[in-house]
Amino acid sequence: MRNLPTFAATAIAAIALASPLAAAQKNGAIAQDFKLTDVNGKTIQLSQFRGKTIVLEWHNPGCPFVAKHYSSGNMQATQKAARQQGAVWLTINSGAKGKQGHMTGPEAKALIAEQNIQSTNYLFDTKGVVGKAYGAKTTPHMYIIDGSGTLVYQGGIDDKPTANIADIKNARNHVLAALSEMKSGKKISVAQTRPYGCSVKYAS
Amino acid sequence: MTFDFRIFSIMLAFVALAIAPAADAQNRLGNTELNVPATLVAEAQQVKAGQSVTLAFVMEPKPTWHGYWENPGDAGIGMSFDWSLPAGVTSGKAQFQVPDRLLISGIMNYIYKGDYAVLVTLSLSNELRPGPLPISVKSEWLSCTDEICVPEQDELSITLQVVGKDAPVLLDKRFDGFRAALPRPLGSEAKFSASDDRFRLSIPLPASVGMDQPYFFILEDGIIDYAAPQKFNRDGDRLILETDARGDGLDTISGILKIGNHDGFLITATKGEVAMTGLPLAGDGAKNEAGASLLFFALGGAILGGLLLNLMPCVFPILSLKAISLAKAGGNEAEVRRDALAYTAGVVLVATALGAVLLGLRASGAAVGWAFQLQDPRIIFVLLALVTAIGLNLAGLFELPNINFGNKLTKKDGAAGSFWTGALAAFVATPCTGPFMAAALGATIILPPIAALVIFAGLGVGLALPFLLIAFVPAIRSRLPKPGPWLDSFRKIMAIPMFLTSIGLIWLLGRQIGTDALGLSLIFLLTVSLILWWFGGGQMKGLSRGALTSAAMVAALSAGIIALPGEEAMNDQKLAQSSNATLPSEAFSESRLSELRAADQPVFAYFTADWCITCKANEAAAIQRSETAEAFKSAKVAVLMGDWTRPDPEISRFLEKHGRAGVPLYLYYAPGEKPVILPQILTVATLTELVAKPV
Repeated sequence: MRNLPTFAATAIAAIALASPLAAAQKNGAIAQDFKLTDVNGKTIQLSQFRGKTIVLEWHNPGCPFVAKHYSSGNMQATQKAARQQGAVWLTINSGAKGKQGHMTGPEAKALIAEQNIQSTNYLFDTKGVVGKAYGAKTTPHMYIIDGSGTLVYQGGIDDKPTANIADIKNARNHVLAALSEMKSGKKISVAQTRPYGCSVKYAS
Repeated sequence: MTFDFRIFSIMLAFVALAIAPAADAQNRLGNTELNVPATLVAEAQQVKAGQSVTLAFVMEPKPTWHGYWENPGDAGIGMSFDWSLPAGVTSGKAQFQVPDRLLISGIMNYIYKGDYAVLVTLSLSNELRPGPLPISVKSEWLSCTDEICVPEQDELSITLQVVGKDAPVLLDKRFDGFRAALPRPLGSEAKFSASDDRFRLSIPLPASVGMDQPYFFILEDGIIDYAAPQKFNRDGDRLILETDARGDGLDTISGILKIGNHDGFLITATKGEVAMTGLPLAGDGAKNEAGASLLFFALGGAILGGLLLNLMPCVFPILSLKAISLAKAGGNEAEVRRDALAYTAGVVLVATALGAVLLGLRASGAAVGWAFQLQDPRIIFVLLALVTAIGLNLAGLFELPNINFGNKLTKKDGAAGSFWTGALAAFVATPCTGPFMAAALGATIILPPIAALVIFAGLGVGLALPFLLIAFVPAIRSRLPKPGPWLDSFRKIMAIPMFLTSIGLIWLLGRQIGTDALGLSLIFLLTVSLILWWFGGGQMKGLSRGALTSAAMVAALSAGIIALPGEEAMNDQKLAQSSNATLPSEAFSESRLSELRAADQPVFAYFTADWCITCKANEAAAIQRSETAEAFKSAKVAVLMGDWTRPDPEISRFLEKHGRAGVPLYLYYAPGEKPVILPQILTVATLTELVAKPV
């Protein structure tokens, strides 16, 4: 009986995966399951983290808006804080081969070391299937999935849509705010915001 | 050599001197390293206390780069402004031009592909003292190619001069162009609904407003799915849009309805019920599918229409004679076919060329319809002379192909002659196409240019079809009557439809240029006829008067063309006609207004546009009414009408000066008093009471 919800979720995910270009996920719906490979070639499946809070972050190292949050250390600090709360953080790169921000495994590993990226896994979505299924439009574009597999937040990292590092200190970090509200059992007050940044460089 | 070089260096020094102050006057700190460099310019360097001045951020993206609209779409960022203004100066909201869209891998971007301008109006308080007025602004914007994005920023500044009340102010003409690309507010409010993941928007827009690939750019985020295709329906005076919804969190929305290149309307909409009624316009999603079947349908219509044209009074005589001459050629099959093919080539070529010109004019923004060549009175006059000459020829006034224009070529024997007959037939036939061709030609507006040209060519094929049949089906040819003495009578009878066509053209010309100018052009026509008569008389006596005749004809025609009124006079005539009905008006201009004001005459000025439903309603209900006309007439009120159907910089400026971004605007100037701005909804009483007041 304990396995029943898992089974149900997998079934839903399988259906959803059958139409990978379906419209964006809605808050309150079960987040679509997916399998992607990480920097070491290992397959990571979303549903393997069931029971934990999961943060998805769309990433493109060449995008100035991503650079804003990494060169300032803001994104790493957010990752660290999330993981300290027991959350899993998956950084996803949907950049297609030949497009800005596309990386190989070793290149990504070097970047993780260099920038001290704190996410649990760095995943490649070169074909853009997962990005399009989630409706990821920009880098960064953030999603939070709760322990039951429900999508509870989607949108920007914060409320200052600029490329200016100086704006970070006065911004509301939507991800940290949502995580702390989830922890204290409150309803997420800002569950959907407008993401900002560069467009995701999908394979056409 | 040395001498030359010295002169050259002196010239260079002068050039440098001339350029230096100009560069200084621009006051730009513009950074040329940027991918989308910005320059700040003012419409006027001299400003006056208590007035306003418009500034423009002139954005010039490098090749492959683009900037973003206020709402950037799925990704990207709009422009920000951080002003440093002296006390007494306040900045208004930035005005953005009609944007373009760019869809990359399912991500929609609302952008500007080429150069664009963002306008901001500064208001100056009454307190400002004459002297320099330094303005500076820190602005950030996002510059992208299809592949990468770079956030850019610049600190721009400009120093204006506050001058006295009566000092001259020089306006930068470029602002007329900047404003022409701004969306114009559509006076009436739209309605939208967002339910079951469908977003619908119903926009009041007269059915007569033409559009090319309409698209709605929404300003607010989170309401519609930007990348989803937009479907448009036309239902009478409403344009209804349907697309995928994202949310329904708002009660009012706004945006730009784009109807053509750099042409669009500002829309505001409130929540309500909207049903998808009416007939679909080809939207971008269904376009290709519908396009193919539409093309075949329209092509069929065009060929059929062309076929019917053969029966038109303006075409029939040319054709019937040509057909008989084909029959005359008798046995020589090859010659007949060659003639028919040459004729077809002439028809198709001219029909396609006219179509290409039409599409070209449409693309360049002029509002033209088929038979547009008949809108210019000079072309009508030439056509009139030509048709009359052909008629006189058919009637037997003169013979032989020695006249140095059109029908010399058409009377030539052989393939060249047939080709020119075809060309002439197609050119003369176009005014007759209207009723038969309306549907097929309407399709050319929504089809891509190549497909549209195919339709025009189809029209030509239809026109040439009877000819091809006669040439290639001997059975038909053998049924044609054999040439004989009766042919001469037939020819003379055929002069009748030709002269009828002349009468039609005279009527058309008269409507366009008025009776005075028409009288003049008829005198030229008489001259043409007399020349031909004299020429024909010479022929009977065996004299050759060809060279003299040609010269006289060219002179008469040129004189006619020069003497005819130009386009301006035509517009005046049109205006007089349109208001002939009830309340006559003159075209609005500020100089005319001040002239009337100086003469102490009361003035009613109204501003309207064909796409403005409120305007049309007011005109029908209050302005174009006999009560109003009589009241205005007895009070000697001059009426000025400004037509803003196409962007007109003078009217745009005037509206702005009166705090209006769009039409309608109704003003009443009592002699010696300040103008009264009348309400947007007029009644007969509002207008008649104006003049009933003791002055």
